[in-house]
Amino acid sequence: MSEIKKVRFRRSAAIATSLAAVLVLAACTSGGSDTAASADNAEPVKVGVLTDMTGAFGIVGKSNEAVAKFTINEINANGGVLGRQLEMVLADSATDAAIATQVASRLVNQDKVAVVVGGVASFTRVAVRDVIADKGNTIYIWPASYEGGECSTNVWNTGSAPNQQVDPTVEHLLAEGNKTFFLAGSDYLYPRNILARVRQVVEAGGGSIVGEEYVPLDMTDPSNLVSKVLAAKADVLFEVVVLPGTAPFIKGVVDGGYKGKIAGTLFDEGINPLIGAQAEGLIGVQDFYLSVEDPFTKSQVAKFNEQHPEAAGLFSATFNATAWYRSFYLWKAAVEKANSFDTAEVNKAMDSVSLKDSIGGPVSFEPGTKHVNLQMYLGESKADGSNVILKSLGSIKPLECK
Amino acid sequence: MSAQIIRGIFDVLSLSSILILLVIGMAIIVGMMKVFNMCQGELVLLGAVTGYLCGIYLGNLWIGILLAPIVVGLFGLVLERTIIHRFYINPQGALLATFAIGLVMRETLRNRMSRQGTPVDAPIQGSIDIGGASLPVWRIVIMVVTLLLALAIGYVLLKTNLGIKVRATLDNPDLVSVSGISTKWMYAGTYAFGSALSGFAGAMIVPLQTLYPNLGYDNLILMFIAVMIGGLGQFAGPLAGAALIAVPGAIIGQFISPVTGQILILFLAIIFMRFRPGGIFQRGR
Repeated sequence: MSEIKKVRFRRSAAIATSLAAVLVLAACTSGGSDTAASADNAEPVKVGVLTDMTGAFGIVGKSNEAVAKFTINEINANGGVLGRQLEMVLADSATDAAIATQVASRLVNQDKVAVVVGGVASFTRVAVRDVIADKGNTIYIWPASYEGGECSTNVWNTGSAPNQQVDPTVEHLLAEGNKTFFLAGSDYLYPRNILARVRQVVEAGGGSIVGEEYVPLDMTDPSNLVSKVLAAKADVLFEVVVLPGTAPFIKGVVDGGYKGKIAGTLFDEGINPLIGAQAEGLIGVQDFYLSVEDPFTKSQVAKFNEQHPEAAGLFSATFNATAWYRSFYLWKAAVEKANSFDTAEVNKAMDSVSLKDSIGGPVSFEPGTKHVNLQMYLGESKADGSNVILKSLGSIKPLECK
Repeated sequence: MSAQIIRGIFDVLSLSSILILLVIGMAIIVGMMKVFNMCQGELVLLGAVTGYLCGIYLGNLWIGILLAPIVVGLFGLVLERTIIHRFYINPQGALLATFAIGLVMRETLRNRMSRQGTPVDAPIQGSIDIGGASLPVWRIVIMVVTLLLALAIGYVLLKTNLGIKVRATLDNPDLVSVSGISTKWMYAGTYAFGSALSGFAGAMIVPLQTLYPNLGYDNLILMFIAVMIGGLGQFAGPLAGAALIAVPGAIIGQFISPVTGQILILFLAIIFMRFRPGGIFQRGR
């Protein structure tokens, strides 16, 4: 039995009379689906939401907070989890690993949340992972497309793994007859791992890499890199230059007269408007674009924009909106399957839960991988920042934690 | 000449002129006034925001480029009269105070923005083709403007009566004040002028990047290094300092990875400072 449940139990024993009333109430609101669980746990369950509300990723945090609120409200309106309402506890990790560790510790030790969903950049994940999942023995869900390799106990990944985005992109480009690739990225773990995967798939498919270059994260004017790309004249530029370098880099390459294709893992409605008209023709694979036609996706996104005008336009795959949404529902499914909020029980159940409907399409944990099977879409950007779906790729397995 | 060599030379000139343009305002405030102005980057940012807003609401970035120095100059004047002037006797305090001002400006903008950044179109788009290399026109405009601006300010400071008053005030305020010049307004005016130049730089360079909250801050370290290498107490030094880090940086960047290049440049800067702590135009010793 978890600490939370023990406390709750003692308290409910002490107020046995009011419990009777609560029992009846809870049974009514939850539709009588699971009377035993509701009776035992009439108080709300705290859910930790950790994101960068301030600092460099503040805008992503704004989106994450809105998606978390939207999802938790939706779950509560439909009866909560095991008959208990969810109470969101928001923690600002301030784009700073040290602060992230502090607020994560507060979520686990003071607020005693049942689960933490959160993190924007991998440095935050690495900083909070041990505090939450290991020392805190609490489920930690990492809702972001990232460089792969996160297989720690009690940690679950709901964003896309490198192979889910990179493989179909490169295979499409090779099938189109492109042979030579230039790889460019910002100098840190994410671009390096993504581009390592690109190299692997390109070489396996008979293509060749004609150049690979990295720029420092804080380089605001990547003119030198632009010149190198133009000189290499590759068929494809696969780029993972992150903000703020993205726009000057792509503008420089396009305006400099580059004739080949430009592909990457970070092009969608969230990022493209920054690039401007030069976004025309960018190729990539995401688990969601605004142009996804699935009726559930369409109605949910419309509902989100209506309920959260402050974050309208911030619902995008690169802001991890889809991963945040499914994180809460996957956890809910696991808790219901385990019929318990206990970490060990939920962990066991999580390994194979699935959602028939989620934004972007159905999703399920691939057993033994701690990552999810995702519906992926091959998209091409237009000058106005929107994306056309060239091909719906179906469900793709994550190649992680094997 | 091959297109590649032309592009290489162009990159060197372009990167250097952008850094010099960014440093001009700082050369006045940090270099001449010796105020460790940590919010210099945010003055650049404020100029960029002014340019962007004029582009959106007046449909013309040119107006923004003309208005940015006025807006940021007035902002600098207010800043100097309310806060900065209290710290002339306490440089460490100035460091913290200006850092705080910068932080507030940066985070305020971040809070107001609806996305991570916004592209700003240059008033002159397109590129011209020289020897097979297509060179963006706006970068050429920046090169020319930077050169003219540096010459004009140098002339004002060194050759005009006003320039002499400014330099005298910064050199020996007591002597100047007994000569009947208001040092209070000299200081305020100089700070405002340095702010205005940074604002102008912000509006000029924002089309090359995107408007985002760290636009100025991301360049601050490089700007400070330029001023340190150039030496305090003068105007031309910091500009030479900017050229001294940008030119080899851009050349090295063409042959080795930009990451190694940046580390190498900072390393060379440290060695340079060890042997010429007074900067390029160090006198004596």
